[in-house]
Amino acid sequence: MDVRIFQFNGCNKCFNETILLKGESKYNIEFIQDPQNWKEQKTDISIITGFLLSKNKETLNKIKANSERVIAYGNCATSGGIFALANQKGHDVSPLKNFIEDTININGCLGEIEELKFEIEDNELPKLQNLCIVCERRKTCDYLDELKRQIELEDNETCFNDLGYLCNGFVSKECKERCIDYNAPCRGCKPIIERSGIRMLGMFGTLMGNIEVATEHSEKGATDKLADEDDDITASLPDIVGNFFRFTLPTSGLPKGRIPSNGNLLEDVFTGRLIEELPLISGLLGGDHSISLTLKIIETYEEANNIKVSEKTKNYRNQLLKLENALQKAIQSKDPEQYKKITEEIRKIAGNMNLSNLSYGGFRSQIDENDDFEEYKAHPFEVIEGTYKNGSIEFTIDPIGIVKKIKIKEGYV
Amino acid sequence: MSECEYIEPEVLEKMENIVVFMCNECGQGSANTAGVARMAYNPAIRIVRVQCTGQVGPIQIMDALDNGADAVACVGCCLGACHFFNGNILSMHRIKLMKKLFKELGYSDQFVNQYTSRAAEGETAVGDFEDIVERLATAIREEGTFKDGC
Ligand code: SF4
Ligand code: SF4
Ligand code: SF4
Repeated sequence: MDVRIFQFNGCNKCFNETILLKGESKYNIEFIQDPQNWKEQKTDISIITGFLLSKNKETLNKIKANSERVIAYGNCATSGGIFALANQKGHDVSPLKNFIEDTININGCLGEIEELKFEIEDNELPKLQNLCIVCERRKTCDYLDELKRQIELEDNETCFNDLGYLCNGFVSKECKERCIDYNAPCRGCKPIIERSGIRMLGMFGTLMGNIEVATEHSEKGATDKLADEDDDITASLPDIVGNFFRFTLPTSGLPKGRIPSNGNLLEDVFTGRLIEELPLISGLLGGDHSISLTLKIIETYEEANNIKVSEKTKNYRNQLLKLENALQKAIQSKDPEQYKKITEEIRKIAGNMNLSNLSYGGFRSQIDENDDFEEYKAHPFEVIEGTYKNGSIEFTIDPIGIVKKIKIKEGYV
Repeated sequence: MSECEYIEPEVLEKMENIVVFMCNECGQGSANTAGVARMAYNPAIRIVRVQCTGQVGPIQIMDALDNGADAVACVGCCLGACHFFNGNILSMHRIKLMKKLFKELGYSDQFVNQYTSRAAEGETAVGDFEDIVERLATAIREEGTFKDGC
């Protein structure tokens, strides 16, 4: 079977993951890194990875015309993914289905290779349950008195939402990467329903029942009305777009954003996000540089604010950097065995390929049961306004921790 | 009721559909009272009767906006008087989040609002309608209709 895999824009993590298909001898695989210059050729299956812009339309049409089936693999291709957060600032990152008809979608950031194999074989995907059903935490859905932004790691039995952290598990499918196992609430990368973001927003608004909402006297109606002023509700969620529409902005049913763009698309993805979210975003979209990019962001902030990091933490971080190097080599040589081995090693430390376990000050969950977790446990940190710079990266955050400006050196993603 | 603000005809013209979800209790009650008293209000107001504003959330609001509404509002019972305990407040929580979401996307936060009314007083409903229309007029003057932006 002829399988052609096309990498479009941005992160190449999903593209790289398809190296694992090479282990299957029945496929005749071709990797195509610059689809614009692809010489048209009939093929059984085309797989699209990376995010898509209107300038890619012609190429996508060509691919469609030559392929029996076209599969969008990973959120970037299925719903715009994390890069589509830039649509808040007017960009036009679009899902594959906006360009061509009859696409097959494999959601996820990272897309799951096992699901991709099912689709290639034209087998029906196993029916996946809601993530909450397979999650060990238990929910009560009591009204919240307050929201929390930074994870504290004591309780591992109560649902994140009940603890005041926003977990998108309610609207997600069970998954392989399982951020929830590494003290990172679900980011919502595998939506189980349409317009998951809007639904989660409604659900969460209700959950915030005990948090005070501002009302005012309405002159005209001579009764009370909802006030426009900022209140505890708005202060609790400084970045609704980034928290609820992280992967689905173009398919959310919301209008295109009209916030002025700050410059390039990648920087627009990060602008407006929260400091505690930065490593989680860079871990998702950094492609084969995601480890170094994420550690760069974390260390830049740590160094400037004197957040102490233990030797053990440094040690694990160095191991990760070495693994990233090794992974890049495996990717270059398209060696599925090596790729598998190294990603497994990365998962052991970073939790998953989204690097959910990485955080400021240390790690979110224990890496090795023989370790003393206290030694490298991440802890809440102070949000300090300022401009942080460290070689390839520079960002400015405001007093509540919202990224106002960011510069990332070319070539990182 | 206070004086109506002047709204230019070209702005009024742009208001074709304003969807107002009114609860079956005080919301709808006050609209009925207004009807009995033959009180006039803007013809773009389209009332959708719901059991409680607590039933209305971001999905219904987006459905209305995506299907041609120029603005959406909820009118529920007065604070503390919800017939279903706290549906009016919960709805306010969600509408507040919608307002913030619109601002984060660069839109006016006046396309969605929430009010309360008293069943025995038709002018509370009509006053709410006037306020909805005035706020929408401000938003349209500043940045056009929601439809223009999409
Ligand atoms: S950002 Fe996520 S969905 Fe997009 S290519 Fe990278 S891993 Fe895949
Ligand atoms: S919302 Fe998150 S933490 Fe809560 S049960 Fe679901 S997956 Fe688990
Ligand atoms: S837990 Fe993580 S990998 Fe799983 S669905 Fe949620 S965001 Fe995706």
